Amino acid sequence: MSAPASLEVLGATKSFPGVLALDDVSLAIRRREVVGLIGENGAGKSTLLKVLNGIYQLDQGEVRVAGKPVQIRHPRDAFDHGIAMVFQEQSVFSTLSVAENIFLAREAEFLRGGLIDRRRLNEAARAELAKVHLDVDPRRRCAGLTFAERQMVEIAKALSLDTRIEGDITILLDEPTSMLEQREVDLLFEIVADLKDRASIVFISHRLDEVLEVADRVYVMRDGKVVHEVASRDATIPELHRHMVGRALHHEYYREARQAPGDGAAVLEVEGLTGRHGFRDVSFTLHAGEVLGIAGVVGSGREALARCLAGLEPPAAGTVRIDGRKVALASPSEAVARGIGFIPSERKTEGLVAGLSVAENMTLAALGRFTARGLIRVAEETKAAKSWIERLSIKTPSPATPVGSLSGGNQQKVVLAKWRIAGSRVVILDHPTRGIDVGAKEDVYTLVRDMTDEGLAVILLGDTLEEVIGLSSRILVMRDGRIEAELEAPPGGKPGQVDLIARMV
Amino acid sequence: MASGSLAGQRNRFARWRGLAPVGVLVLLCVVITVISPNFLSFSNLVRLLSGAAIPLVLVMGATFVILMGSIDLSVEGVVALAAVITSMLVLNDFTSADLGLLAVPVAVVAGGCIGFVNGFVHVRLKIPSFMATLGFGFAGVGVATAILGGFTVRIADRGFRELALGRFLDVPFSVWLAGMAVLVAWVIQERTRLGRWVYAIGTDEVTAKHAGVPVERTRILVFTLAGLFYGLGGALAAAQLGQGHALMGTGRLFTTITAVVVGGTALSGGVGSVLNSVIGVGIVIVLTNGMVLMGIPPYVQQGVQGLMIIVAVALALDRSRLVVVK
Amino acid sequence: MIHKRLGPIARRQLLRRDLLKGAAGFAGAGVLAGTFPRLAAAQSGEWTLAISMRSLANPYHATFAAGGEAYAESVGAPFEVLITEGNSEKGMADIRALLARTGGKLVLNVDPNDSPDARVIVEECQRAGAYVVTQWNKPDDLHPWDFDPNYVAHMSFDGVPTAQAVAEALFEAMGGEGGIVALGGILSNVPAIERKIGLDNAIAATNGKVQLLDFQPADWNETRAFEIMQAWLTRFGDDIKGVFAANDGMAIGALEALRQEGKAGAVPVTGIDGIEAALFAIEAGEMAGTVAWDPNWTGGIGLALGHAVALGEIDIAAEPHEHREFYGTGIVVTPANLAEYRAMDAALDFGDFWGKSPGQIQYRG
Repeated sequence: MSAPASLEVLGATKSFPGVLALDDVSLAIRRREVVGLIGENGAGKSTLLKVLNGIYQLDQGEVRVAGKPVQIRHPRDAFDHGIAMVFQEQSVFSTLSVAENIFLAREAEFLRGGLIDRRRLNEAARAELAKVHLDVDPRRRCAGLTFAERQMVEIAKALSLDTRIEGDITILLDEPTSMLEQREVDLLFEIVADLKDRASIVFISHRLDEVLEVADRVYVMRDGKVVHEVASRDATIPELHRHMVGRALHHEYYREARQAPGDGAAVLEVEGLTGRHGFRDVSFTLHAGEVLGIAGVVGSGREALARCLAGLEPPAAGTVRIDGRKVALASPSEAVARGIGFIPSERKTEGLVAGLSVAENMTLAALGRFTARGLIRVAEETKAAKSWIERLSIKTPSPATPVGSLSGGNQQKVVLAKWRIAGSRVVILDHPTRGIDVGAKEDVYTLVRDMTDEGLAVILLGDTLEEVIGLSSRILVMRDGRIEAELEAPPGGKPGQVDLIARMV
Repeated sequence: MASGSLAGQRNRFARWRGLAPVGVLVLLCVVITVISPNFLSFSNLVRLLSGAAIPLVLVMGATFVILMGSIDLSVEGVVALAAVITSMLVLNDFTSADLGLLAVPVAVVAGGCIGFVNGFVHVRLKIPSFMATLGFGFAGVGVATAILGGFTVRIADRGFRELALGRFLDVPFSVWLAGMAVLVAWVIQERTRLGRWVYAIGTDEVTAKHAGVPVERTRILVFTLAGLFYGLGGALAAAQLGQGHALMGTGRLFTTITAVVVGGTALSGGVGSVLNSVIGVGIVIVLTNGMVLMGIPPYVQQGVQGLMIIVAVALALDRSRLVVVK
Repeated sequence: MIHKRLGPIARRQLLRRDLLKGAAGFAGAGVLAGTFPRLAAAQSGEWTLAISMRSLANPYHATFAAGGEAYAESVGAPFEVLITEGNSEKGMADIRALLARTGGKLVLNVDPNDSPDARVIVEECQRAGAYVVTQWNKPDDLHPWDFDPNYVAHMSFDGVPTAQAVAEALFEAMGGEGGIVALGGILSNVPAIERKIGLDNAIAATNGKVQLLDFQPADWNETRAFEIMQAWLTRFGDDIKGVFAANDGMAIGALEALRQEGKAGAVPVTGIDGIEAALFAIEAGEMAGTVAWDPNWTGGIGLALGHAVALGEIDIAAEPHEHREFYGTGIVVTPANLAEYRAMDAALDFGDFWGKSPGQIQYRG
C-alpha cells in the first residue's frame, strides 16, 4: 500500500453549462494495479477519462503522475505522461493500416529525412502486436479487421508507450468488453493480466461481474462524485449496484411477473424468410404482448434478420405478414408505415439524429401527424415530447435540448419514444441495453413490459443471454443463419443459459 | 470465423472497385482508338500529356484537400494570380523585370500564401472551407484585376516559355514537371506524417483529434500545400499561353474537381489517392480529346461528359457501406 | 533597357499601355469619388461625364473606359467610372447615387449589365434630366426616340459582316482554298451566333474552295481552345490550312497549341476583338487578322454625343433614326493595315459622331 501512485486525481471539478460533471473527485491508481471504475451513465466516468486524455481541462483540482502535478492540455500531453486511452467508440481508422494506426500522431520517431521509414514502422508495430498476441500483418488496412482485432490494435497502441516514455504507463480501458463475444472477453482478460507487469490499468465497464473478476480495487461514481471505494475481494454485486443507483435494486430485475403469456393475436408472421446474406429459411409467428428473444453468436444471422425485418436489407425470398397482410420490406419507410419500429444498436449513427432536439427526434418517424397545411405544429410536437419525457422519465433539460448531449440510456429512451409515437405494432430491440448502466437498464426493462401491456409485440436481440432469458416469453436460437431451436420461456419455467449455449455453438 | 471470410470477400471486391477508374480509362481509350486510330499515335499521346500537365499539377493540390473532407474552390483565383505574377516577373511588356525561371518559385510561394490564408481563415475563424476558398478565389481574381486593370501581360521571355515549348525525349518540359509534382504528392501521401494525418482527419476528424493528431495545423498545411501546387499550375499556364491576365484560371476549377472525383476520391474524405486523381485527369483529358477526334457533335459532348462523370463515380462508390447520400 | 529589346512598335505599345494604366488608376479614383461626393463638380454647374460597365478585368471594357476618360479630359469635364461587377442591382444603385449627387447634370455612356436594365436606366435618367447613351444591350422594343431628348442613342455592333470580313481575310492568307477549323463562343449567346453566321456566309461565298473541317464551341475560353486545337491536329493534321476563332482569346489558345508543334505562323489564325496579344501576333506574322471594335472610340464618342446634346449643340430629337440606333464599326486589322490602325488610335477624333457608323441597327428574329 505504500507504493507511490502512478496516477492521481485530486479534487477534480469540471462543469458544463447546467451540469456539474465532476464534483471534487479524488482517486489514485497505484503502480501495477487494475482499478475498476463503475457508475451509471452520466455519473462522470467519461468526463474524467476525457480530462485524463487532455480533451477537457479541469476547472479545479489537479492530476499527478508519479507524485508530480502535470498539465494535460492535449491528447499528446497524455501520451507524454504515459496515459493511454482505449476508447469505447473505437478510434481505429479503417482507411489506415494497422501499423499506421498504432503510431498515428507519433510518427516522428520513424522519420528519416522527413519521410516515414515504413519498414521500421511496420517492424515496430509487429513488436507491439506480439504483446497482445495479435497475429495480423501490420501493413493490412484496418477496414478488414474484426471488432475484437481492432480493439487489440488499440490496446497495442496504448502499450506502445511502454518503451517510449520514462516511468510508468497507465492504460484506460473504456467499456472494452461491450462489443466482444465471451471467447474474446476471456482473451482480453488474459492480456490485462499480462499487462499488469508493465502498466497500471483503469477498467471501465458496466458488467460488474467482469469488473470484479479483473480489477484489484473498484471506485464507484455517481452524480459526478466518487461515492464508494472497495477492494474487489470484499465487494459484492448487489452492494455495488446499490452504490451506483443510490437505492436498492428491484427484487424482480427482469419484471417477470409482468411477462405476458404471449397468446394474443398473431401480429407478425414470417415464413421461409431468406436474406441476401446472413440467414436462410426463417419462419416464426409473433403475437401481441409477446417478447420474442433471439439468441445466437456473432455471425449466426440474428442481426441480419433484425435489419431485414426493419426494411434495411430487403429479403431475397420468403413472405412476411403484418396483421395478415403481406409486407415487401423493401425500405425502412415501408416498415415504419406498416408498424415496425427498429431500435438499432448503433444509436448514434442509426437511431438518432444527434444534431436535432429531443422533440424533433421523437416525432421524426411520425411527422405527418404533427403537420398541418405543410407546416409542423411545434406546440403540439413539444406537448407530445413533454408527455413522453415524463412517461419514460427521460433526463433532459427540455424537449429542445440536442439529443446528442444526453447520456446513452436517455438517448435510448428517446428512440423508444419515437417508435411509440409512430404507433409501431412490432418493436425490434437490437442490443437495447448495450453500453448503458444498470439504472437505465432497469428503465428499459420496465419500458419493454409497458409496451407489451399495451399489446405491442417485441423482438429482442439481447445484450446478454441472461437478459434474453429474463425478458422473453419465447426464444429463438439461431446458428449459421438458420433457426436451431425454439424454446418457451414462461415465468418460473425459464430455460438455463447452458441450454441456449449448447444450441448456439 | 464466418464473418472473417465475408469481410475478406468484401475486401477483394473493394480492391476491384478501386480499379474501376482505370477500367473506365482503358475502355475509353479502346473505344476511341477503334473509331479513330490516330488516337494512339505518338504525337497525339504527347499532345494528351501536354494538355494534362497543368490539370495534373492542380489536382495534386485539390486531392489532399478533398481527402481531408474539405473542398477548395480557390483554384481559378490562385492560378490567375500566379500566372499574372509569373508573367510580370519574366521578361514581359508590362514591367521591366527579367527574373526568368526564378519567377516560377515566386509564383509557387505566392500560391502557397493564398493557400495558407485559405486554411488559416477556415480553421481559425471556423468558416467552412467552401466559403473561405470561394471568397479567396474571387479575391485572387480581384487582385489580378487590380494589378493589371484588365489588360494582358505578354511574355517575351523565350527561355521561360521553353517550360511549355521545349522538349526532353520528345516530351514537353511541363509534362516532366507535372510528373515530378505527382511524385512529390505521392511521397507526401505515402511517406509523410502530413499524408497520414490527412487520411485520419478525412476518415474521422474527432477521433483523429483525440488520437493526438494536430488537426488544425494539418488543415492549414494542406491548404497551403494545395496553394503551392496551384501556384505552380499558374506558372505553367503562363508558360503555355505566353501571357498573364486576370481570367487565366477560367474553367480550371471544374476540370480539377471533376478529375479528382472521377478518379475515385470521395468528396466525403478519407478515401482515394493522388494516383486516383492522375487516372481522373487521364479520363477527363482523353474524353475531351477523344470526342473531338471521333467528331461527336458539340451538344452531345456536354451530355457525354456529364454521363461519364456519373458512371465513373457510380463505379467507384462503395455503395454497400453507404446508408445516407447527400 | 526593356524598350530597346522590344523594338519600336512594342515601345509604342508601352506608351499606349501607360495611358491605359492611367485609365485603370482613374477608374479607381472614380470608385473612391463615389464614396466621397465631389461637391466641387456639382457646384460648378458643369455636366459630369460617366461610364458604367461590367468590369475592369477584360481589355475591352478597360479600353472603353479609357476612351471615355480621353474625351472627358479633352473637354476638361469631371469623369466617373462605375463598375457593376456583373450585378444589375449594384449597377442601378451606383447610377442612382450619381444622378442624385450631380442633380441630374450627368451624361452617361452605359453598357448595361443585362438588356432589361437598359429600360430602368433610361427611365431614371429621363426623370433626373440626365442624358444617356447605351451600348450593346437593350430590349429590341426600347428606342431612343421614345424618350426624347434624354435617351440620346444606342450603339451596337453587327457580328455578321465583321465575322464575314475577318473570315475573308483568313481565306486570303490561306491562298483562297483549303480546310479550316473554327472555334465558336458559348452557343446560346448572340455574338457567338452572329459570328458563326458571318463565317458560314464567307465559306459559302468561296463556292466550295474553302471547307469547314470541324466547328467546336470553346466557350470563349483560351484553355478550351488549346485542348480542342490539339485534338484537331491529331484528327486533321496538315489538312488544317487555317483556324477561325470567334474571339481573340480562343485564337491565342489555338495559336499556342500550334506553337507547341512548331506550327505557329505556318497555319494562319484569325480572331475577333482586337486585344493587344492578337495585334502583337499579327505583327509577328502568326495571326492573319482580328476585328478591333475600337472601344476607345465607342467609350469617347458616346460621351461626346451625349455631352453635345446636353450642351444644346445638337437637337437630337430632330436627328434621323439611323443617328439614334447605329452600329459602331469593327475594323478588320490585318498585317497589311496594322500600322495604319495603330496610328488611328493616336488621333482620336470625337467630333464626328456618325462618320464611322456603317448604318442603322437591324433586328434579326
